[in-house]
Amino acid sequence: MYEEIRTAIEVISAIMCFILLRFMIKPYEITGESRYLGLPLGFGFLGVTHAISAFAYYMESYLPIIFSRNIFYIQLIARTFAFLFIAITYYFSKKPNKNSRLTWKISLILFIALLLASLLIVSIPDLTIQIYRLTRSYLRVFNLIIILYICTHTFRSHIAKPDPKTIWIPLGYVFLAVSQYSLLLWQFDGGIYAFFAGLIFRLIFLSVFLIVTYGSFYQIKKRSRDEDRT
Amino acid sequence: MDLFTKSKRGLEMKIARRDKMKIYNDLLSILQSEINGEEVILTRLQLKLNVPFDRLKVYLKQLRELDLINDETSPKLTKKGKQYIHEYEKVLDFMKRMGLKYQ
Repeated sequence: MYEEIRTAIEVISAIMCFILLRFMIKPYEITGESRYLGLPLGFGFLGVTHAISAFAYYMESYLPIIFSRNIFYIQLIARTFAFLFIAITYYFSKKPNKNSRLTWKISLILFIALLLASLLIVSIPDLTIQIYRLTRSYLRVFNLIIILYICTHTFRSHIAKPDPKTIWIPLGYVFLAVSQYSLLLWQFDGGIYAFFAGLIFRLIFLSVFLIVTYGSFYQIKKRSRDEDRT
Repeated sequence: MDLFTKSKRGLEMKIARRDKMKIYNDLLSILQSEINGEEVILTRLQLKLNVPFDRLKVYLKQLRELDLINDETSPKLTKKGKQYIHEYEKVLDFMKRMGLKYQ
């Protein structure tokens, strides 16, 4: 029963991430600034990791243990990189000059190289379940730190120019942080409530983002159509 | 010399550099606000956009090639031009809500 709910939540999360990806690429498309590429990369990677998780949960009993462990490793690493890509987009969004553009490009290449190297390492079949659990703990703590950085950045930009419209995204990231924290708790105490709280908070985070995106792209569209008519 | 360099730097700090997309949007928005049946005067457009005349000509040529305006000498917004302004506004609003800075 739990497996089915878990798989369903992962599938829903993957779909929501891919819908968001379509809109996250727009800042890059319209400005042509590569420093905004981290957003679509981040949400794309998140979507892929949720799709991988759904597949792994669904096929857990059919797949050989080494193969399924490698899949979990890949999703663990790719998810950390997804958060990293989103965080560096926020970091570079405040520094629009020639040097920062170059640094951004170098960082992006480095991160992609690092991601590929990590994926190669985890394909080693000797990795035990203990190493996996340890890696998972460290990466979840690291993810939490990255998300807290994003929360601080978005809260700061909201405080700099307070607007009721800009409060939702920092709150969304807070939900994501709570989700990561719940998953970390689940890892230590094994409680099913912490695990499902983690998944539900993640769904809330993605829902907030979808609502904000809808507000930006479709309410303005409606407004401008009304203006055109008048 | 020093004073000149200093003041130039100060000016650069005060006026944020506009990228091409921002200039396109500014130019198209001016054209949209100018719609009143009269012919658009290029020198007035240049003053409002705050760019040299030769650069304005280049931008108008590029916008014409992109089919965002219908003519370089007497520019008027096309349907695609209007769509560009709306899309630009939407993306800027989205970036603002996302907590991203754009200059």
